Amino acid sequence: MTKKIFITILLCVLTFAILLPKNISAANYGMSISPPLLRVHIKPGRSITQVYKIENLSNNDKTLVAAIVPFTESDISGNPVLNPKATAPWLSYFSLANSEIKFNKPFPISAGASEQLILSLSVPETAPLKDIYATLIVSTYVNSVDQTFQGSALRATIGSNLLITVSSQAYPDTILRIEGFYPAKGTVIKIGELYFADSITPLKFTATVNNEGSFTAETKGVFRVTSGKGKPVYLEGILPVNVIAKSQRQLLNTNGNSFEFSPSLSNIGSHQLSLEIKTDNSNTTSTINIIFFPLKLSLGLLISLLLIISIVRVTSKTPEKST
Amino acid sequence: MKVIYLITLIFLSIFFTTTEISLVYADDLKSPTFEIQMGTINITGGAKSSTTYKLTDTVGQTFQGQFNSAGYVILAGFQYINTLIPFSFKISDLDINFGSLVPGIPSLLSNTLTVTTGSAFGYAVKAIEDHPLRRSDGVTTIPDTSCDLATPCLQADANVWGDNARFGFGYNMSGTDVNIADFVNSTYYRPFPVENIDQPAIVMSKGGIATSSAATVTYKVNISGSQAAGTYQNAIQFIAIPAF
Repeated sequence: MTKKIFITILLCVLTFAILLPKNISAANYGMSISPPLLRVHIKPGRSITQVYKIENLSNNDKTLVAAIVPFTESDISGNPVLNPKATAPWLSYFSLANSEIKFNKPFPISAGASEQLILSLSVPETAPLKDIYATLIVSTYVNSVDQTFQGSALRATIGSNLLITVSSQAYPDTILRIEGFYPAKGTVIKIGELYFADSITPLKFTATVNNEGSFTAETKGVFRVTSGKGKPVYLEGILPVNVIAKSQRQLLNTNGNSFEFSPSLSNIGSHQLSLEIKTDNSNTTSTINIIFFPLKLSLGLLISLLLIISIVRVTSKTPEKST
Repeated sequence: MKVIYLITLIFLSIFFTTTEISLVYADDLKSPTFEIQMGTINITGGAKSSTTYKLTDTVGQTFQGQFNSAGYVILAGFQYINTLIPFSFKISDLDINFGSLVPGIPSLLSNTLTVTTGSAFGYAVKAIEDHPLRRSDGVTTIPDTSCDLATPCLQADANVWGDNARFGFGYNMSGTDVNIADFVNSTYYRPFPVENIDQPAIVMSKGGIATSSAATVTYKVNISGSQAAGTYQNAIQFIAIPAF
């Protein structure tokens, strides 16, 4: 009897051991980097260091590789166009001051642990006065892939941008030009240089800015609406983004959306809408004129009046019932 | 005639009434989005706000003063406080293992990309493969998809891939910060761009702050009956970079 109980318990234990779900975790990836943007103005002959913190957010130990990748272009949203194989003479200005971590050499980081990358930038006295743009990238390092594996092995790269201005002056010349400042299509009527819009319909506006200079400039400024008599009626900040040299950026409001003006019943007549950007040593403005008129309101009233008149006429013509 | 007088009278009343209002309240600068940003370096600063404005300022040594005395200015904090929030990127599964493939029956696998950025500048995640799915001989490949014959797709232009007689390897995106004008639904696919030939393709992007933006990548492979037997592999790299 005891033997039977023993065998039953053993079978039960074995069954549970086999059937119970095991904690199998797929190889995942999670990494954070801080700061995500570094903007430096530096004179030739000077050096700085900046500590970057990277954190392994995954549940596996990882092997990573850090590198500096130069770039010269960005898209209209400020995303750098990276070419990992690009090279530049100024890459030698950068080094890692860590004792065990060097550029392009794999280093381990435990699950849940963090690591510091001590980036050193030393600009030689003879360095040309210009902007240099790069991204500090940290990639997963894969030495080999299982030969029985059929499919795609994923690799991940995370980065932080460096916008460096090498200059002997704090505010080198910047040349910004606002372009394409227009109301969104379908909301206005354009005659010549004048726009006509309904006085109660919100209007959206798009605009871009070109940096025609050789140094990065920031888009600090305002979107302003003033009445025909020069009285301000609306003011909204421009999202201060970095426009690298010889590039174009989309201008947005401080919420990261298109500029929007919602006129009220009081906004009738000519109004001036302007985008004004003020850098440390230059200003740029783009202006459009819009005449607001109560189109929808007038149409509504007209239709209402016509309806009332029709009802009155029909009612007055209805013959009285004979009793 | 009386009706015409009545209409004219109403229009004139409305016009003069509304015009008068604009003259009275011309100094109305209240806006929930009004914001002024001005920057100097260190000592104190921060964000101030009321129901009608937001103000971020810093007080201390000027940019010019700092640059002249130290020879450099680093903008990585204070006015740039939001950019100090770490930029993070997660991938739920790094191994897209299709196992055995059956000719004419597509195999689908998916994983999730998650991005968090405190920067108001936004971010982009791009993707690129080292080469098409390739056998260990280094020659035989499963080609990257060109989608259905009637709806060809490109590396930056997704299109319908529903015909099981069309073979290849591609991906679909869905979720937050995905261009849904391109990936209209789950039948829309793109081929991956190839390293050293193409530029990486943007698969997720946003122009502002992202808090755990998550998107699903669905990988699809479909082989023909004449596909040579063997194990096919490639490496796909996802590159997550904040904007500036």
